[in-house]
Amino acid sequence: MRAWLATLGVVAQIAFRNLFASRLKTIIVGGIIFFGGLLVVAGNSLLDSVVASMSRSVIGSVAGHIQVYNAKSKDTLEVMGRMMMGDPDLSQLDDFAKVRASLLKVENVKSVVPMGISGALVTSGNTIDLALEKLRNAVNARRDAKTDGERAQAELQVASEKGHVRQIVSVLQGDLKNAKAVLDERTIDPADGAAVNRAASDAFWQDFDKEPFEALEFLENRIASQAADADLLFLNYIGTDFQAFQKSFDRMKIVEGTMVPAGKRGFLFAKHVYEEQLKLKAARRLDQIKEGTENEGETIATDPDLKRMVRENVSQVREILLQLDAAKTVDFRAKLQRELASQETDVGKLLAAFFQTDDHNFRGRHDFFYKELAPSLELYRVRIGDVLTIKAFTRSGYVQSVNVPVYGTFEFQGLEKSTLAGALNLMDMVSFRELYGFMSGEKLAEIQALQKAAGAHDVSRENAEAELFGSKATDAPAAKAPRRIEATTTPGVAPVMHDLGESLGGKLQREEARSRVFPSDEVERGVVLNAAVILKNPKKIKETIVAIEAQGKQDGLTLKAIDWQAAAGLIGQFVNVIRIVLYVAILIIFLIALVIINNALVMATLERVKEIGTLRAIGAQRRFILAMLVVESIVVGFIFGGLGAGLGVLLVTVVGKIGIPAKSDVWFFFFSGPRLYPFIGTSNIVAAFAIVLLVSAFSSFYPAWIAMRVTPRQAMQEEE
Amino acid sequence: MKAIVSVREAVKNYILGNVVVPALRGVTLDVVEGDFLAIAGPSGSGKTTLLNLIGCVDTPTSGTVEVAGKDTRQLSERELTDLRLHTIGFIFQSFNLVSVLTVFQNIELPLLLQRKLNGPERAQRVAALLERVGLREYGAHRPSELSGGQRQRVAIARALVTRPQLVLADEPTANLDSVTGAHILDLMRELNRTEKTTFIFSTHDQSVMAHANAVVRLADGKLVDRVTPAQAAAETGLPA
Ligand SMILES: Nc1ncnc2c1ncn2[C@@H]1O[C@H](COP(=O)(O)OP(=O)(O)OP(=O)(O)O)[C@@H](O)[C@H]1O
Ligand SMILES: [Mg+2]
Repeated sequence: MRAWLATLGVVAQIAFRNLFASRLKTIIVGGIIFFGGLLVVAGNSLLDSVVASMSRSVIGSVAGHIQVYNAKSKDTLEVMGRMMMGDPDLSQLDDFAKVRASLLKVENVKSVVPMGISGALVTSGNTIDLALEKLRNAVNARRDAKTDGERAQAELQVASEKGHVRQIVSVLQGDLKNAKAVLDERTIDPADGAAVNRAASDAFWQDFDKEPFEALEFLENRIASQAADADLLFLNYIGTDFQAFQKSFDRMKIVEGTMVPAGKRGFLFAKHVYEEQLKLKAARRLDQIKEGTENEGETIATDPDLKRMVRENVSQVREILLQLDAAKTVDFRAKLQRELASQETDVGKLLAAFFQTDDHNFRGRHDFFYKELAPSLELYRVRIGDVLTIKAFTRSGYVQSVNVPVYGTFEFQGLEKSTLAGALNLMDMVSFRELYGFMSGEKLAEIQALQKAAGAHDVSRENAEAELFGSKATDAPAAKAPRRIEATTTPGVAPVMHDLGESLGGKLQREEARSRVFPSDEVERGVVLNAAVILKNPKKIKETIVAIEAQGKQDGLTLKAIDWQAAAGLIGQFVNVIRIVLYVAILIIFLIALVIINNALVMATLERVKEIGTLRAIGAQRRFILAMLVVESIVVGFIFGGLGAGLGVLLVTVVGKIGIPAKSDVWFFFFSGPRLYPFIGTSNIVAAFAIVLLVSAFSSFYPAWIAMRVTPRQAMQEEE
Repeated sequence: MKAIVSVREAVKNYILGNVVVPALRGVTLDVVEGDFLAIAGPSGSGKTTLLNLIGCVDTPTSGTVEVAGKDTRQLSERELTDLRLHTIGFIFQSFNLVSVLTVFQNIELPLLLQRKLNGPERAQRVAALLERVGLREYGAHRPSELSGGQRQRVAIARALVTRPQLVLADEPTANLDSVTGAHILDLMRELNRTEKTTFIFSTHDQSVMAHANAVVRLADGKLVDRVTPAQAAAETGLPA
């Protein structure tokens, strides 16, 4: 044994000395292995850190540790990163209370949040529609005025709203002129042009009060369609139990407004959606330019994105112009003339000049905008307190509409800037079920009442839905002052926007939307599509998934449980993709390393044929030669791989202290905050060594084979 | 006296492509223990080939070679290696020291391969041999720091460190000048006497042959005769 160790000693000694003797080879081989070790440790640690922080993002913002849904579903559940493609085909879980009871029997389950995810295409506040709605309401008020005082006030209101509509029409007229200048005249419908010209004429407005409703109809039918400035906006939402959601996802915080109270219908906008999609575009761009110049160290002069935003603000002042009635026009003109020291009278041109910002004047203009102009503008297309009317085609094909008051906006701590974490809005479970086409207790009662009234015993569920919801969809009643914003889940289907007068039904519905309180039972006992499960011990996801499915079977439920990564869909896959890319990169690097190391070792072995022959001649067995080469490779592998891994550890540790800043909103999500603090996983160090050893071993195979074939006779051969 | 090497009708053919090159054409030779034998012959006569057969570095195409009582054709590659390690010492024409090891380590190397002695025992034996070959001060030197003659002395020490029964040397003086060569032969001869080690060496050199007990002459792969050094010298007309 001692002698055996001594032999190993001599093997090691020869190996070490050989490494020194052929320094160049050692440095080449060692350098590659060093780099490989560094890459494996640093790359994997970084990736693991991203996975860990991303898991926090996904788990903390919607998925929970585990998502549960009906195993009979045709599609798989994806709670994140879904596109506009429509809802996956999921079977419902009929009774949430039962599901929850079953889940809570599983030991590791801490809490369960009911969910359903869907989306609707919403057309939001078209400025001319709103202006016309206001005008119609003012005209109605004048008609219905009972006292002189009321009538005088209504008269003033009508005059003001007329002014705003005229303003919009004149903007349209300007558009038309511009269009004629650039487009072939034949492409413009002459009837449209004539309508705009008529609406812009003094005669039209002088006659307005004679037949106000006729005039309004003309404006609504012939003009409003031409002034469509509203974008379609797709809202993804989770139907859930707000209180359970907030408790389980404790990073959630309300930014504006309030939480939706228990048992009420309500909608919370994700702050990011609210800013990104509902804010006045000019204002949003000012925010982004400010963010870019102040927080990201960019300049308008050099950054093409900022430059583009300035350009868009200059060319897209129409959005603001349409909001200006006569009084505001005068006000804006005066303020802008003063600010810009300009004689220009056209507010459009003044605004364009105002938005022509550079790095020097941007801050001043930004502040001026928010201080002087913004108070007169609707900064958001939907305000907190408005009632959203969301229309959806239920699964049986009927249009269903639900009124939900917007209570506020929310975001997740640390994920404020992430588009991904901020893509899902929240809706109460009852409204969600109705939109999705499930019966709520309320609706069932209505259907029963309907059946009684009609004396119909054979009204099937589908027919009942048709009778009840089909009709409802077409006479969408409207509210006045909180505005109503309509939505439909079917892209391309124009929402019904007529009959904007406040009807009694609408009023009732709005009132009901605000005040009706559901019994908690109704939220609990109803249908859900999926449920988020929060665990006591998040490390045991795999075991808990098995336990949940087993428990479900026992309780007669067909539960399918998936981990957060699977639930995150494409986003979850993203990490795997990066991992594959990293592994492929490592593989390629090591394949190249293999070839280079192999070559270097072959050269070195050929140079040592005589030495090896001598060793063989004086009595060294082949395995001794093999051991010698292997030890050489391993020594190089360990020393240089170790140094590389060590540097990797050092690097990751140092970077872990400083943090890697998130460059764009996606990275906020992956980093679960503004910075990623990478950490070292021991498994990565082990992996680094394993790979290094493997590469060392593989790359010595061929040289070792050559060395083993050296005969003692070669010791006697004289070099030529 | 007992024959330590016994070669019977040994034939060795090398195959070069599809040409058979006969290197030995039936050589019979006995070498007794304690002999100090020179193998002489012109270039290409088969000296190296014969030494390789005796040294278990190669096996005969036909005929037998017995070394220390073992028929080398019956042995596996592993057993041949063991036979070399324990029974034979090698001295090479170009010394063949391991350049990355010190003089001491080079000499110690066969002992390490043998795994018989412990550290102190090895050190003692190496030191004694270093003393013997006159390199007491050079243990820590690298071979590259030594002269040719010194290197060959290290090689002799390495060949003898396992106390082999047989030491083979293929033209041990070919890379040395004649004076140094003579010194090396003197040393070998002395070790032959004191340690009773059998030496077989090949050479072209008459003055080297003069040190031998006997000279075996080869020509064209055949053993011509076995003569005394004086006879060998006389035939070529050179002084012994
Ligand atoms: N590996 C080999 N392959 C083919 N032929 C060989 C090989 N080794 C030796 N020979 C041939 O065998 C014959 C004997 O060679 P050997 O080396 O034994 O001669 P030698 O007496 O040692 O010559 P020298 O004095 O030049 O060393 C020569 O003809 C030689 O060409
Ligand atoms: Mg020869």
